[in-house]
Amino acid sequence: MVTLVKQEMYKLLHKKSTPAVSVVLLIIMTIFGVLSKTNPKYWGPKDMFVSMYTGENWVVLFMIAACSSIIAMEFQYGTIKELLYRKYYRGEILVSKWITMLVYSIYFFVLTFVYSLILKVILYNSKFKLSDTYANNHSIVETQVLGMVGAFLSVWLILSLVLLLANVFKSTAAAISIGIIGYFALSMVSGLMFVLMQKWDWLKWNPLNMMNLPSQIVDNSYHKMTLLSTPEMVWGSLIYTAIFMAISYVVFKRRSV
Amino acid sequence: MADTILNVEHLNKSFGSKHVLKDVSFSVQSGHIVGLVGPNGAGKSTIMKAVLGLFNYASGTITIDGDPVSPTSHKAMDKVGALIEYPGIYPFLSGMQHLKLFAKESTTQDQIDETVDRMKMTGYINQKAKSYSLGMKQKLGIALALVNRPKFVILDEPMNGLDPQANKDLRTLILDLAKQGTTFLISSHILSELEKLIDDLVVIDKGQIVYTQSMAALENGGKKLLVLKTSDDAKAKDVLSQNGYELNDADNVNITEKADTKMADIIKLLSDNGIDIDDVQHIHSDLETSLLELLKNDKVKES
Ligand SMILES: Nc1ncnc2c1ncn2[C@@H]1O[C@H](COP(=O)(O)OP(=O)(O)O)[C@@H](O)[C@H]1O
Ligand SMILES: [Mg+2]
Repeated sequence: MVTLVKQEMYKLLHKKSTPAVSVVLLIIMTIFGVLSKTNPKYWGPKDMFVSMYTGENWVVLFMIAACSSIIAMEFQYGTIKELLYRKYYRGEILVSKWITMLVYSIYFFVLTFVYSLILKVILYNSKFKLSDTYANNHSIVETQVLGMVGAFLSVWLILSLVLLLANVFKSTAAAISIGIIGYFALSMVSGLMFVLMQKWDWLKWNPLNMMNLPSQIVDNSYHKMTLLSTPEMVWGSLIYTAIFMAISYVVFKRRSV
Repeated sequence: MADTILNVEHLNKSFGSKHVLKDVSFSVQSGHIVGLVGPNGAGKSTIMKAVLGLFNYASGTITIDGDPVSPTSHKAMDKVGALIEYPGIYPFLSGMQHLKLFAKESTTQDQIDETVDRMKMTGYINQKAKSYSLGMKQKLGIALALVNRPKFVILDEPMNGLDPQANKDLRTLILDLAKQGTTFLISSHILSELEKLIDDLVVIDKGQIVYTQSMAALENGGKKLLVLKTSDDAKAKDVLSQNGYELNDADNVNITEKADTKMADIIKLLSDNGIDIDDVQHIHSDLETSLLELLKNDKVKES
């Protein structure tokens, strides 16, 4: 298994897009850092820091692309046979890809977290302290870390779906578009969804509602709309992720190549 | 058992309602080069994929070195290198990076370099594979099958896209490796391509094995034919068959020549019956012809 993960990492690191994406992420965060310094009215320095200078949103996009490509490229390049007729088992091949993506997503979260701290120190060292109260009795840094934990869980909910779709359609395009739409659909349909949930209570268990976890974890009053407690949402996210992963596993094991 | 590396018995495989492999049985002797020959769509790639544990099969057994092979039993794959259908290539990696990626820990850089050298790929091995031509990709695919010095190598139509020189180099390399004890199973839809290479031949058509034989036996089995043009072919056929000559199914008078077949006897027999001979031809049917004959005459029925 270690060998397989190493091989996946080797492929990931040798793609030109991999280093490029990290550089782009840092550039974008820097731009928003500078904007919040020059135009604090539109981009509040504390809000920008808590949202990691928009880094989190970009991480989701990049991870959706990476997850769909790590599966679909093997079908696209015809390399899936080479992967499968070795002494390893199919399940191991798939799990090695998941582990690689898990490591990659942790890398991204750590990178954005550390870089937002660096930006904060450079741009606002004396303006505000991390321990200042931000909202809901949480300090700034607490808010940021809690938001990150929530984001990590809901990102993986989306990623597990993307991994499944890439597996089913063997194409990056379908997996990426549905992943992105799924992620951004939330803000568009959540109003309607909340209304419908008032009518049909069981709707609160739908996966899109779980995506509100990052907001609710920071601001408990969200509970009134999501109708779920925070632990329920944590478990809900984990269970949906597990279900999507399990379907992926079955599909991958049964596929004829 | 010790000298059989691959054993396939009563293998059946369907894709949906399509019965693609029908009761396929054959074995490969250790150290031999075995040719798997058959027309397009016969099931060569499908057999190879089953042997590599790539999919489930309805019934049958496959063993490599005594270990059973199936999608859930891949232990034997450690000894196997393969190229199936077309090579799978990552465009963003160079040839060398491919070889490093798939090299086992026990494979040294020297061994990788030697494979590259033998495949004559040194000139472009460090370029990204997206710039490779079809033939270059094919060579990389073969190099990937060979890089870990497997005991058993499976090559599916390896000569595809290779120029004559590369084709010859590959043959030399295969023969060298076979001398050192590597076993090969090589498929092709063209027998002449493998003729100079293989020890044994397995012929497949429409999912059935129609012929297995050593090359030596097949070469001896090539028929000599005597083809006559006469004033009355129909009558000549009757007369000859009544007199114990073996006639082949053809428009003209086509006799299988045996050790005791004498031209003089035939001329006398025909002229005694008032038939004139206009022309005589001796034909030594080559391997390709015998194979075509075999495929044409086989009793395989479409299902
Ligand atoms: N994945 C598949 N699904 C359906 N039919 C298939 C599949 N793979 C192969 N076949 C069919 O099986 C037959 C044998 O194919 P194949 O083994 O590729 O032939 P060959 O390699 O001898 O040219 C063909 O008729 C082909 O259409
Ligand atoms: Mg084929």
